[in-house]
Amino acid sequence: MNGPRSRKTGRTVKTGLLLVTFGFVVALVAFALSGFDQLGAIAAEQEVAADAAAASPYGPAPKLTAADYPSIAGINSRVAVWIFAQLHLWFAAFVLAVPIFVFIIEAIGMRTRDKRYDDMAYEFIKVSITAYSLTAVLGGALLFSLILFYPHLFTYLSTIFKESMIYYALLFFAESAALYIYYYGWHWLQGGFKKWVHLTLGLVLNAVGTTLMLLANSWLTFMMSPAGVDAAGVFSGDAWAAIHNFLWNPINIHRFVANIAYGGSIVGAYAAFKFLTATTKQERAHYDWMGYNANFIAICALLPLPFAGYYLAAEIYAYSQQMGITLMGGIFAWLFIIQAVLIGTLFLSANYYLWCGMGRSDGAKRYTKYIKYIAIVLVGAFLVWFTPHTLVLTNEELKALGGPYHKYLGPLGIMPAKNTAVNVMIIFTALSFMFYRRANKIATVSWVNAGNAIQVALYTAGIANILFLGIYHGYFTNTVYKVAASIPQVLTTLIVIVGSITLDSFIYRGGKQVGPLHWGRIPGRAQYALFLLAVSFTWLMGLMGYIRSGIRQHWHVVDIMRDASPDAFTPTLGYAANVVSVAAIIFMAMVIFVFWIAQVSGNKTLPAGYWKE
Amino acid sequence: MKIPRLLQAVLVLAGVYYGFIIVFDILLDAVIPSSLLAMYMFFVVAGVFMVFTYDEDQTRELVAPIKALVEDPSKRIWRNIVFAVVPLVAGAGAYMQMQPSFEAPLELRTIHPAPPTTAKIFGKRVNLLKLENPYRKFEKEDPEKFRELVEEGAIVYIQNCQYCHGDKLDGKGPYAAGLNPTPLNFQDVGTIAQLQESYLFWRIATGGPGLPKEAAPWISSMPVWQDFLKEDEIWKVILYLYDYTGHHPRSWESE
Amino acid sequence: MRQFLSVIVFSLLTIGFFAGYSNFGIPQIEPAPPPKEEKLDLGSMTMDQFIAVGEKLFSGKGTCTLCHNNLGRAPLLDTIGEVAQQRLKDPRYKGEATNIEEYLIESLVKPSAFVVAGFGKKGTNDAESPMPDVSGGSIRLDEAEITAVVAYLQDSSGAEVTVEIPKDLGKKKEGGEEADVAEAEPREAISDPEKLIAMFTCDACHMINGVGGEIGPDLSKIGALRNRDYLRRSILDPNADIAEGFEPDQMPEGMGEQLYVSELEVLVSFLAGLK
Repeated sequence: MNGPRSRKTGRTVKTGLLLVTFGFVVALVAFALSGFDQLGAIAAEQEVAADAAAASPYGPAPKLTAADYPSIAGINSRVAVWIFAQLHLWFAAFVLAVPIFVFIIEAIGMRTRDKRYDDMAYEFIKVSITAYSLTAVLGGALLFSLILFYPHLFTYLSTIFKESMIYYALLFFAESAALYIYYYGWHWLQGGFKKWVHLTLGLVLNAVGTTLMLLANSWLTFMMSPAGVDAAGVFSGDAWAAIHNFLWNPINIHRFVANIAYGGSIVGAYAAFKFLTATTKQERAHYDWMGYNANFIAICALLPLPFAGYYLAAEIYAYSQQMGITLMGGIFAWLFIIQAVLIGTLFLSANYYLWCGMGRSDGAKRYTKYIKYIAIVLVGAFLVWFTPHTLVLTNEELKALGGPYHKYLGPLGIMPAKNTAVNVMIIFTALSFMFYRRANKIATVSWVNAGNAIQVALYTAGIANILFLGIYHGYFTNTVYKVAASIPQVLTTLIVIVGSITLDSFIYRGGKQVGPLHWGRIPGRAQYALFLLAVSFTWLMGLMGYIRSGIRQHWHVVDIMRDASPDAFTPTLGYAANVVSVAAIIFMAMVIFVFWIAQVSGNKTLPAGYWKE
Repeated sequence: MKIPRLLQAVLVLAGVYYGFIIVFDILLDAVIPSSLLAMYMFFVVAGVFMVFTYDEDQTRELVAPIKALVEDPSKRIWRNIVFAVVPLVAGAGAYMQMQPSFEAPLELRTIHPAPPTTAKIFGKRVNLLKLENPYRKFEKEDPEKFRELVEEGAIVYIQNCQYCHGDKLDGKGPYAAGLNPTPLNFQDVGTIAQLQESYLFWRIATGGPGLPKEAAPWISSMPVWQDFLKEDEIWKVILYLYDYTGHHPRSWESE
Repeated sequence: MRQFLSVIVFSLLTIGFFAGYSNFGIPQIEPAPPPKEEKLDLGSMTMDQFIAVGEKLFSGKGTCTLCHNNLGRAPLLDTIGEVAQQRLKDPRYKGEATNIEEYLIESLVKPSAFVVAGFGKKGTNDAESPMPDVSGGSIRLDEAEITAVVAYLQDSSGAEVTVEIPKDLGKKKEGGEEADVAEAEPREAISDPEKLIAMFTCDACHMINGVGGEIGPDLSKIGALRNRDYLRRSILDPNADIAEGFEPDQMPEGMGEQLYVSELEVLVSFLAGLK
């Protein structure tokens, strides 16, 4: 590197860092303000309330009857709201997630000065820009259907959240502005200082987007764990208390992580389709690479997701035991079997994609012999995870077993076995990934054998610890340890993953490449694994939306505002699955439209003799 | 001799399938439910497919015989045979599936339905979330008295419960064979070990008729014991159930 | 296009598999319908809710727990189901009931039909009960409410609940007390203080001329102790002043809505004259 260039780079880096810091501060302030302003508004309101003395400006939650719900012949109002909400959520999750990893990829591109990253980041954001307007349209449709079919619920919620709804609208403008400048200014804001400005814009975009999600989350968590209101539903005037309700943060974390995984999977499906329809070798290589990166993002977010889910479930239990039992026992117990099938599908297809991807490297042969063992463990762990607590038995089997309980399969139906299985699955997925990373590399450090031995020891000890915790604490101690054992299990998993990746990065520091990676050398089947990932993810989100909403049972706002509509009953799993499936198909059709629109702008038709020469 | 990959795959699947059957039905003497086995096999097939097809060359080897069967002119006779046999097998399978049988339809019931928050037991409304066994405290405070209570519970059990639930608490009492659903096996780690004592109190006191709707069909022949036993007898018998089986009631307090 | 179609088919198959598994692979459990809301619509009320209404009346509007508590002012009712059966055969029983339900209703509206030994009005040798008729006076339970209290008494004492939830009275009940007052025929004003005291059962709690209960202060010589303003205020707003040694919130409020002004003055004059 020559002198002047590096000096210039140094200056740019400094300015850039400053800008990013500034952007971050702006974002933080914006976020804090959204809280403080409410505090101000609240203070003012409290004064008003004090003036009005006994007469509270807020009434109790209305007590409704079936007549309070407008209906339109031929339209089931709950299903309409359900589908609009679900579609809105899918698109929102996608458009909020994409800028997060576009930001990261752009930063990686700036760091490595590899233009491919920048092009890929641009292509990702291009995909999400059409989806963005659809998100807004669907949000409007949801709002409209809510006002139309559930006017009293909407009125009640909007009296409590009126300030945050205004901020929501304002932030939406900010989000649009940031997104459009970020997207349309991509090629303009290139190089040196301008690039840093662009990255900062990306950060602001993410900050605004995340704040939007947090606000929207507060409304739905308020319905699950109302706060800031008394037992009759009279609002205290403290909007922050209503927003910062008990389940707000658990949902925030779960959704944030899941959105990234979801966004990755959708972009992966996009890349997979482009790969399958690519005509040139370069194109195939490009979209293979893009698909790999999208899958990588999805897996990275997928690994911690079960833990975020357990945290959310534990918090629901802590908030209300009644709600917790509704969630985990009784009718919803079977939902978790469906969930197990879906998450198993996610893990299996993600692994399959990695294994197929090993064909890109000529050095992979050294590791492929282990794949079948990984597959055996993954499938085995999955079968344990999937085994239901209540077995479906024919009468003959019932007689043969002497009861509905199975001596050997029964113990697999309870939580400790499932925690153990999911931790093992995560560790082995990480192992798959490690083999993939190693496939094209040869270590040159002198202590490579010792290093490998430590890796083996790390994995062995980790798995042994997980099994011990699961089996000993799960079956030979009382409940408090059963539940508590899941925490050291998770920690073990995290330590093994982080430890092995760190160690590997040292082992392969300065290592040789076996040969160039053959991007594009991957079977078409692997692309279907990416489709499977995206479809399963979409459907799973819909299913979990049903249970999240379903545990409120016949309440609009739990214990405060009762759902008196004819649709207050909890639907069966099959019914919910059908609604989710229909919504997923609609979503798919819309996504195809979005992708088609994204590429149609590149098409040019030259009509001969149409225009005056 | 190298076994063709397609045959390998089929052998692996058959091995796993019969492996499950041999291990569970014969070695462990506890049949594997066919519904579960079907789902297990579905994912085993997925796993085998994944392992056999992640590599392009190996996949080609795997599908080569199938391709040859369909395309190779020299395999004409085989092709015709397969094309005739496959629909026949599919038809036979469909016939066997749809054929009416004397087997009673499957009854799917939730065995541990979510308990109500409160229940009416012995004329009182009790809060099941807070209800505790009044004798449990003696386990630490007065072990001798606790033993006595367990003994009394044992007498209640032998006089009332063992006819169905068995003298070893394994759900295999003399009358068990006549009942469907069969009596619960308390030795199993998935039954009382998973439950709080208040749950047992509710189930014993209100019996089959006290089951909520989601645990229907309401054919459990468990009697409504609050009509026959006293409150303290139920609590004592609960002590005995846990004591004999060595399980601990589910609780949220550390020991 | 071929690729596109196969991707679509693949995705639809995947969704179909998930939906199929959710519909046919797992048991379809019909969740229990939402519980009925607890409102005073008698037509759709379950017996448990009706009993709960009775329980509320027992400790609330009915003011039963003022005396039927463990302080020994009146008999405890925790075993009334069993006891009532014996009462019917008791030679001292003067009523017409033939079963527990009838006995309980009778006890509420004609308390003197059977007086438990030791709990009678002072000086009547257990011939007369100090308990007021709950359908009149300041308590004024209507028929449906009395039935609810009986349901609660049967239920809480372990007896079989035999009462039926009244259907036709639902509307009246929802209207509340105001509706009751509005519907009631205007009565003639009473000018005899003794009749007024009997009507509003003041002597259930207050000793007047040596006869009556001990829950409220003895009024036999109240004229010597308090002036007319104080007496008037105490009738209209019982918690304004509490005599030493007595609990607040014991005397029913709302006398002001039930007495005519002339009657109030009759009472005040009568009490002021007790010296």
